[in-house]
Amino acid sequence: MDLPIPSRRQFLTAVGQLASAGWITMNWPQIALAAEGTGHAGHDGAVAPSELKTLTAAEAAEVDAISNLIVPGGDTPGARDARALYFIDNSLGSFWAAQLPAFREGLTEFAAAFAASPGATSLFSTAPEAQQIAFLETVDETTFFMAVRRLTVLGMLALPKYGGNHEYAGWKLIGVENRHFWTAPFGFYDQNYAGFVPYPGTTIQTA
Amino acid sequence: MDRKTYPTSETVDFIVVGSGSAGGIVARELALAGNSVVIMEQGPRLDAHEFEHDELKYRQLSGITNNPATNPQTFRTDASETAQKRNSMTYARVVGGSSSHFNANFWRLHEIDFMERSVWGPVEGADLVDWPITYAELEPYYTKVEWEVGVSGLAGSSPFASFHSKPYPMPHLPIKSSGVLFERGARALGLHPFPSPMAINSVMYKGRPACVQCGLCGGFACEVKAKSSSVWTVIPEAEASGNCEVRPNSYVFQIGMNDAGRATGVHYFDGDKVEQFQNARAVVVCANGAETPKLLLNSATNSQPEGLANSSDMVGRNLMCNKGGGAAARFEQPLNEYKGANVTMMLHDFYNSDPARGFYGGGGFTARSGGPLTWGQSVPDGTPTWGPGFKDYLESYTHWMNCAGHGTSLAMPTNRIDIDPELKDAWGVPSMRVTLKDHPDDLKHAQFMVDRAVEIMDAAGAVQIEPGHVGEASGGVHLLGTCRMGDDPATSVIDKYHRTHDVKNLFLCDGSSLPTSTRGQPTHTIEALAFRAGEHIARFARLGEI
Repeated sequence: MDLPIPSRRQFLTAVGQLASAGWITMNWPQIALAAEGTGHAGHDGAVAPSELKTLTAAEAAEVDAISNLIVPGGDTPGARDARALYFIDNSLGSFWAAQLPAFREGLTEFAAAFAASPGATSLFSTAPEAQQIAFLETVDETTFFMAVRRLTVLGMLALPKYGGNHEYAGWKLIGVENRHFWTAPFGFYDQNYAGFVPYPGTTIQTA
Repeated sequence: MDRKTYPTSETVDFIVVGSGSAGGIVARELALAGNSVVIMEQGPRLDAHEFEHDELKYRQLSGITNNPATNPQTFRTDASETAQKRNSMTYARVVGGSSSHFNANFWRLHEIDFMERSVWGPVEGADLVDWPITYAELEPYYTKVEWEVGVSGLAGSSPFASFHSKPYPMPHLPIKSSGVLFERGARALGLHPFPSPMAINSVMYKGRPACVQCGLCGGFACEVKAKSSSVWTVIPEAEASGNCEVRPNSYVFQIGMNDAGRATGVHYFDGDKVEQFQNARAVVVCANGAETPKLLLNSATNSQPEGLANSSDMVGRNLMCNKGGGAAARFEQPLNEYKGANVTMMLHDFYNSDPARGFYGGGGFTARSGGPLTWGQSVPDGTPTWGPGFKDYLESYTHWMNCAGHGTSLAMPTNRIDIDPELKDAWGVPSMRVTLKDHPDDLKHAQFMVDRAVEIMDAAGAVQIEPGHVGEASGGVHLLGTCRMGDDPATSVIDKYHRTHDVKNLFLCDGSSLPTSTRGQPTHTIEALAFRAGEHIARFARLGEI
């Protein structure tokens, strides 16, 4: 039987695991198993955190640099614009706090690997972008990178009260309007839907 | 309204364990028949305004579902393995149960579901059985669900549907873009898509409003009470009878038994984790297909040392979760699937097993949407997982939909819920251990569904299709078969009236009652069974036969 606290590898694998498109939406319970010890206390109606409380400034700089290469800025919002870092910091300080040691261990290994990479003379966060990208291409299948990737996506798309998706920047990126009520038509293809045409031999029953 | 309460010292007529799809209905039927009823619910009672559009909370942080931190489980694929700590069975832990967070896609079964063993024959390595009841016997109760609980749809639109004695009380929901495309692709292939029946109000019905098309159904509780969850439908009616108390935050961990072999009530932890005992003349367990067998196995007595009502050794066995397969597809123009009820169009052309395929299995397909946060965590094969290419993919969100196949899982006695020998939950109650592995035919059928979904999306004009990957069983939300219904006490746990073969005043009704897996959407059938069970149990009570 497992120990109550999962190993670093178990956590990072769970958090970072990718699944094929579409399959997740059909099998959501299976991917809701990111980590043991989840909870959401303290976030109901909470105000988005406005400062970093979990990661050190140095750690935050490294994570922010990785995150902003996962979803880069530009003409449309990126991870930094959405303050995905604040989500990551908040999650690792609250509902995924038990995973913070594993995350830190992964970050330390990431930094060490970068320092040992050819041409590295600085921290990852201060290296030239081309060098950063070249290094990420060598580690983008590691469990730590995939964990940062998943947390970045969550930080782009979870509600702003969790710290990221600042001013709904992530939703703007993907084309989601922040409203709770809609009426048909909803999209391009149902604009001119003529209605259901019954099949020959069937008898429609209506109340 | 003042809600009725009963002291634990009072012997009520019935305790109903669980307030979900089945529990709410059984309690309503018993209470309306004049019986005193206490519904025990593990989770809290929340009002509509307390639910949120918070995808992280509900789909990642166990907002209203069983939490791995407090309700841990173990999992293995084979009895030879040591089970590892992992939650594979997911269910809502709130008044309303899983009817609170379901997608509300409501299919009736077909005649074939009730007699498939007789028609198809045995399947090697599985225990495919006929039901002890027929579609004709259940049909009036399907109709009762549709009219009493509230289902929208278009009866007669599927050429494959079984007999409907009445139309749906409400017209079908608006067809969204995914439904239009699904219909286009399916009709091009000669298939027969039809507007999906949904347990969601399309118009004002029984005092509840029409759906506001917020787009967050599956995994979420409805904030406007348009989804026909028991907490908004039958439970208020049960309470209005003056005979029913809903007792939230009450975790039943053992059924009390006397020396005569009769249930005497239930042991439970209240909201302060203080142990209590509620007396009752009879107990109806509707706790879901995972929690019901766990409760029975944790209620072993000296005379029933292998678990309550388990002389057949069938309690917990034959776990089925509905295997499926599908595809995601991207289209040129935006669909905006984050708007509107999750399912609006479906088909049953592949419902029946077909010997020509070479394996057992069948099911239905739906056009289906999901929330952005869940979608954003997945990446199609060949798409960059980070950088500008990944960002481009994120920006395509509104152009995607799912074609989802929902299918059979074969009953296998080796797939089971039992009690972990070591792990306990936050209340000190022994946790469930899950043993689950797909039958080879289930895997073949899942791939068959993937292939059909790809064809439908291709015919619909998709510019990119991502076939689903068929993986080994890892758990589910459809928790079925673990206390199967049958005429033979040697091979089943309950009779066709949901009474356990071994304990006269103990009844079970939920997904555990199903002898076969149905075909992906079991809740309508569970609710029909619950109306039928409630009617018969009330009759037994009236006749002094409990």
